[in-house]
Amino acid sequence: MAEQEKRPGLIRRIGAQPLWVRMLLFVALIVIVAPFSKWLILLLLLAIGLWPVTLLLGLAGLAVASIWRGGWPWMKDWLRRRLRGLVVPALSVVTALIIGGLVIMFTDQAVFQAMQEGGILEGIRLAFANLATAYKALYEGSLGNPRAIVEALGQVGGEEGLGPLLRVVRGPSDSLVQSVPYIFAGLAVALGFRAGLFNIGAEGQIGIGWLVAVVVGYSLTGLPAVVHLPLAILAGAVAGGLWAAIAGFLKARTGAHEVITTIMLNYVTFRLSAWLLCGPLELTQGTCRTQEIAESAYLPWFLERPVTIHWGFVLALIAAVLTGWFLFRTTWGFELRTVGANPSAARYGGMRVGKTFVLAMFLSGCLAGLAGVSQGLGITRNIALGFQAGYGFDSIALALLGKSHPVGVVGASLLFGVLRAGAGRMQSVAGVPTEIVQIVQSLVIIFIAAPAIIRAIYRLRKPREEELEVAVFSRGWGA
Amino acid sequence: MAAQAQAIGVSKPAGLSRKDLFVTLGILLIGAILLLLGGFSTEAGDSSTFTDQVLGTLFSLPSRATLYTLGSICFFVAGLRLFRGARSIRGLLNWTIALVSAFAFLVWITSGTSLNLPGMLQATLVAATPLTLGAMCGVLCERSGIINIAIEGMMLWGAFSAVAFASIFDSLWMGLVAAGLMGGLMAALHAVLSIKYKVDQIISGTVINILAAGGTRFLNIRLLEPAGLSTPGSFPIIRIPVLSEIPIIGPLLFANQPIVFIMLILLLAVNYVVFATPWGLRMRACGEHPRAADTVGVHVNRMRYISVTVAGLIAGIGGAYFSLGMIGTFEDGMTRGQGFVALAAMIFGNWNPIGAFLAALLFGFADALQVKMQIIKPLLPFIHQPIPPEFLQMAPYILTIIVVAGVVGRSMAPAAEGKPYEKQ
Repeated sequence: MAEQEKRPGLIRRIGAQPLWVRMLLFVALIVIVAPFSKWLILLLLLAIGLWPVTLLLGLAGLAVASIWRGGWPWMKDWLRRRLRGLVVPALSVVTALIIGGLVIMFTDQAVFQAMQEGGILEGIRLAFANLATAYKALYEGSLGNPRAIVEALGQVGGEEGLGPLLRVVRGPSDSLVQSVPYIFAGLAVALGFRAGLFNIGAEGQIGIGWLVAVVVGYSLTGLPAVVHLPLAILAGAVAGGLWAAIAGFLKARTGAHEVITTIMLNYVTFRLSAWLLCGPLELTQGTCRTQEIAESAYLPWFLERPVTIHWGFVLALIAAVLTGWFLFRTTWGFELRTVGANPSAARYGGMRVGKTFVLAMFLSGCLAGLAGVSQGLGITRNIALGFQAGYGFDSIALALLGKSHPVGVVGASLLFGVLRAGAGRMQSVAGVPTEIVQIVQSLVIIFIAAPAIIRAIYRLRKPREEELEVAVFSRGWGA
Repeated sequence: MAAQAQAIGVSKPAGLSRKDLFVTLGILLIGAILLLLGGFSTEAGDSSTFTDQVLGTLFSLPSRATLYTLGSICFFVAGLRLFRGARSIRGLLNWTIALVSAFAFLVWITSGTSLNLPGMLQATLVAATPLTLGAMCGVLCERSGIINIAIEGMMLWGAFSAVAFASIFDSLWMGLVAAGLMGGLMAALHAVLSIKYKVDQIISGTVINILAAGGTRFLNIRLLEPAGLSTPGSFPIIRIPVLSEIPIIGPLLFANQPIVFIMLILLLAVNYVVFATPWGLRMRACGEHPRAADTVGVHVNRMRYISVTVAGLIAGIGGAYFSLGMIGTFEDGMTRGQGFVALAAMIFGNWNPIGAFLAALLFGFADALQVKMQIIKPLLPFIHQPIPPEFLQMAPYILTIIVVAGVVGRSMAPAAEGKPYEKQ
């Protein structure tokens, strides 16, 4: 410890610089890394696909690092500090997947038939076989097939170039692509939670952001990408923010509970977009979709099809960093958290609670809007009727799972991205409807919100007092 | 917030609070809209004719003159609100404005044509049925101190299990029973999570909503559709002999689906139980001041378990209305947010079953009007384009926002709502 105080780490030293120096460093970093982004992303995808190898390498690295810092005791302590908070979430996910597996097993027509014809044992055997097929598809759809990846690595440099490798890393790429809107939307809900606001309207704000970004994307032409792309992104974000700010304003002014207003705004969004997409914005009669955005508004992809991972992923990570910085390093963020923790104390301390509500809803809506932007500019490149994919509702689970902390939200989003990417494949291969993910998610929320259930199942020890962090959202309808 | 508003009211008795000003402005706006509609969206000689199937034409009004009159009434009421003398009849005035604007919109959309007025009222009652049942669920939960935003989820489960069990047992009534039980089961889950595990009640409610959206879809695709269990049919209309022969009122009240009758009976029963029995008094005490209730020997948490579960039962029946009462099959997300509208009705109705019923009638009217307007296709003023149906469908949701924003500060929620109770 004494040594560290003498020689502060690199991160500390950068953190002590003024804001503009840090910004400049950050931009410089992006510019330097950008030309290699393709290879870095490919490496990342391979690392995800071969995650056991990555994990071992990481542990080995940690072991090497621990040599200078005190060996095994230091490493054990480091791991324990990092992992202790993860026990309940991890067990929650596992338990939810087990229950989800049971649901898959015992809602299968083929299993019922086998039970009638071949007896109970036959049915259970078939149920397990089907479950194995389903979960195998879930794994391969989201993390790729490790054996295929190793084989493809051997073929690199052959006549097809990167072709075989791209085909096998599609799973990890899909997971990351799915996690992009999750990160944005999860951050949106988490930011709201920090201010004591429950933003269930992310789904609608995503739609608004998506819609506006796409409209800006195709209606302006002839602009260079440097101007057009940021403009489209900003427009989508601000539109989502303003839409959400309606709920914040109503809460600040009249005390209307944001849960009701945001849900109602969701339905208004769905009707509004239905009218716009099948009416004024429709390209050809009867398709209910807009025209494609101009190429200058594309969020570029890192690699070629079928690996669709795009720059939105980087934007999402930046958004997470910025959200964390805003919440924990700025005055407004402090006010926001104070209002969330105790509005009466905040009011007594001279903070303007109403202003904070509006600001928090606006920022929350901006983040949710960005989720739509990343989909619109990065993946679909237009917007069609029935665009709602449930990211907004899932994001509530994300914020809870990540304990409303940006790092936690990113982790949870990656997990949900994996589940979602896998669920798509599970549906096509094993015929299990993707809604199973929603069931698993709601179970995860239950277990996270009521850790006593998980502790009882796995007979975990009671946590110490300081670890019990309970976020309170519901204060009746009036406050 | 409410306390603050009251404090402002006390300290400045002569002035108007900001909220009063908003409501007054709102009424002025309604009046202005009515005058504009009368001036630009109706033809000079048009009249609005209201008919009945049996009696023929009931009455006929000149559209433009009527709209002008009703618009003026709005201005008059807005003027009254500015004087403190009218404070005692303020609630009455609000309801009058609601009725006047509802009637005015009817006159507007029927200008130049005719409308089956009892049919419209019937449609209103029918649309208000699930809302009232949902709102009663909310009343029972919240009066006992548990916030329930899972009415939507309970209704969706109700709608689903009604179809499933009605098909399995080949009996619609079994479906109705199953819907109630399923709603009760979900409510029991909500109760256990929020009472035993002290989960935040909003989160617990959201869980049930997500579980309902995902679970019903999943089970529908995987179990009902492959097994051909998804079309049990819908309830027939029951005509009570003699009473249903009364003109106008008869078909309206005494020739309905069984769920509408159940709703009306439950409405009276719940109102009686909550406000006129010792049990209801104890239950309300749990919502207002659980510690005091505990001191006099009421089992607070037991009371909450019971009322939340019973509430879920009622919501489940309300959900069955969507499937067995309307189209006779299950569709994904078929409750379309009506559970939340029911919540708004409960708040509008001041946590009181009868009030909630009146509010539900207002929302139901907006719904029925919306359906009617899609058929009649009235023109927008100035641009003379038909109103897109999507905008009409938005109306109930926007109305909910307005109601929640305009009413919530002045209505009094149970004081101990949302807080888990721990015995000391």
